[in-house]
Amino acid sequence: MAQMVPQLLRQQLAELASQDKRFDGRGRWDSRDLILETDILYNAEGSAKVVLGDTIVYAGVKFDVASPYSDRPTQGSLMTGAELRPVAHRKYEPGPPSPESIELGRVVDRGIRESGCIDMEALCIVPGEKVWRVMLDLHVLSDRGNIFDACATAAIAAMRTAVVPAERFDVGEDFKLELSSTPIMCSYQRVGGRYVYDACEQEEIGGDERIHITLGDEGHLHSLQKGLRGVLSPAEFTEILAQAGDRCAELRELVHSKEA
Amino acid sequence: MGGYGDVQLLREDGKRLDGRAVDEMREVEIKAGFLPAAEGSAWVKHGLNVAVAAVYGPMEAHPRKIQRQDRAVIDVRYNMAPFSTSDRIRPGFNRRSREISKVTAEALESVVLVERYPRSKIRVEIEILAAEAGTRCVGITAASVALADAGIPMKDLLVGVASGKIDGIVVLDLDKAEDNYGQADLPMGIMPNTGEIAFLQMDGDLSPEEYDLATEYNFKAAHEIHELMKQALLDSASGGDV
Amino acid sequence: MNSEDTGAEQRLVVPGDQIDAPPGSQPGSGVLLRGESLVATKLGRVQVSGDTIHIVPTNTTYMPRSGDLVIGYVEAVMNNLWFLDVNGPFNALLPMSLAPWKVEFGAARQYMDFGDAVMARVMEVDETHSVVATMKGVGLRKIKEGFIEEIPPHLLSLVIGSNGRTLQRIKESSDCRIVVAQNGRILIDGDSEGMATARKAIDIIVNTGHAPGLHDRLTSVIGGDV
Repeated sequence: MAQMVPQLLRQQLAELASQDKRFDGRGRWDSRDLILETDILYNAEGSAKVVLGDTIVYAGVKFDVASPYSDRPTQGSLMTGAELRPVAHRKYEPGPPSPESIELGRVVDRGIRESGCIDMEALCIVPGEKVWRVMLDLHVLSDRGNIFDACATAAIAAMRTAVVPAERFDVGEDFKLELSSTPIMCSYQRVGGRYVYDACEQEEIGGDERIHITLGDEGHLHSLQKGLRGVLSPAEFTEILAQAGDRCAELRELVHSKEA
Repeated sequence: MGGYGDVQLLREDGKRLDGRAVDEMREVEIKAGFLPAAEGSAWVKHGLNVAVAAVYGPMEAHPRKIQRQDRAVIDVRYNMAPFSTSDRIRPGFNRRSREISKVTAEALESVVLVERYPRSKIRVEIEILAAEAGTRCVGITAASVALADAGIPMKDLLVGVASGKIDGIVVLDLDKAEDNYGQADLPMGIMPNTGEIAFLQMDGDLSPEEYDLATEYNFKAAHEIHELMKQALLDSASGGDV
Repeated sequence: MNSEDTGAEQRLVVPGDQIDAPPGSQPGSGVLLRGESLVATKLGRVQVSGDTIHIVPTNTTYMPRSGDLVIGYVEAVMNNLWFLDVNGPFNALLPMSLAPWKVEFGAARQYMDFGDAVMARVMEVDETHSVVATMKGVGLRKIKEGFIEEIPPHLLSLVIGSNGRTLQRIKESSDCRIVVAQNGRILIDGDSEGMATARKAIDIIVNTGHAPGLHDRLTSVIGGDV
């Protein structure tokens, strides 16, 4: 079943926006409550759960030993998968990964990968022969809006608490996966004509394009993505980038606080 | 069943490796109404297993060919998260999950009053987040709590339990080592009030006497888990009573 | 709450539970007879009315019945009919002949398109649960303004209140037009301040409706008294 865009909801969101109000009473740049837990899944080498309002996602990290790519014989690798399974919402259908879930996985992957926070050389076991492959899986259990930020936050928290299971693979002692920084994603959606942070379900249904920004520790951009139909002006981007700087810093502190 | 391994699973004192008695089940914890986007849901921790279930519907059954004029169909998807086992699982349906989904759906169709909703479909999504032997049973327990939470009419709840055989002795509720090296596994879906069996599988080697004892253990465990299911549903239903 | 609701203690039961009832009690909705005993089939509260035992469920799906006022969303448009999502187990069919316009074959989309909301009435539900809706009748129309809130259908009676008093209070304090449809959808139309007030009041009823002190919690949002 395709998602309906009730015209009434769009009208209502536009009217609320004209009075600088939001559907659920939040301020334009306010987030819903975000609760982060780490190390919660037996069998995952790193794990995290994020509850963002009524959105719930899990991230799990697994490792295996693989052959390196021939052009990078001394480097390990990262593989990120995301599944929008039908458990998460009435609107999701079973079947092969949808373009939406592939986008979600790739955008989260780019933010982490391009920040350079993983020392891929440290994941080499035998140059040219054996390296560690990090497999990050994102599992959305309840979609009530903004699964991108929920997934990205769970992902970096799970990665930062992961332990490489070397003993189980008979290649030395277990060691902590070292991440040199903490890339954080913040997403903004155009609702009623202007951008808001952390769109809820109704704002997504009645909204337009969204922008995902991943910032590193120094505030540098590591990944950007514009999704859905719509256009933005350079001035609008400048405005949300400034907002993202502040919010990313808050979330980074939260992620660090969950590293026991 | 790995079967007949040389791994010793019973200690000298007759207890199992994790210290449980032969007729003792792992610890179980249940919450109803766990997923806000679902119409009914449950979270079940059974030993180290963690399963969540979500229910959507009854809704118009698509595609039309699955419609039944006289009743609803229950569409179950049992799925193991990629990070739920010690080796990562490739995402997607495989033969094992398809079979479990099929027999679970048929078990649930036996307890849900499906004739109330002709031509419609009730979706039951079971996600295993952490697996430590016995996930199909944990999934059944979670699914039945989620159905009740969604307000779907049922004759009874359905409790998933299993017993098996290790070192020639019948034991309740196999853990991972016991499942890997034991000699039999008997998972059941039990209706605790009517005393009927809606789900039944078995593999390994059991004598008829051993089957009887394993079944007795299963019923005993089903009644214990049933109390926890009821409590979870009552807590969720009275949640509004601030 | 109101006096009609303060009867015997409403015990919570889960599916399969045996219900203690005087001999000769009859199974009502959410209850079945197993041998001599009454058994709950739904999660909810036991309600005794006369010699019949019902379960008032804590969660339900809307089941269309003929005569129900419903708010539907257009889910599909054919040449000569619309399919409406009416929040139930099956879509309702709205034939062109029951629309308030004279529609030519193939032009249905020009009148109502995918995603549009309509106020309609259930005209017919047959034994295989085929649902036919109509827009011929007073107040039935395409909805062009306002906001549609969706709540569990069994809580509608709480929003309405005894003799419609709760609904009246919400209407007056929010200065909104409010139409409660039986499929759990409520149309709220007014200025945005008022709509926010009405939505907040409905939220309170949905989240804490069965708990004591609802009246006071509502008063804190919509003020006044009856």
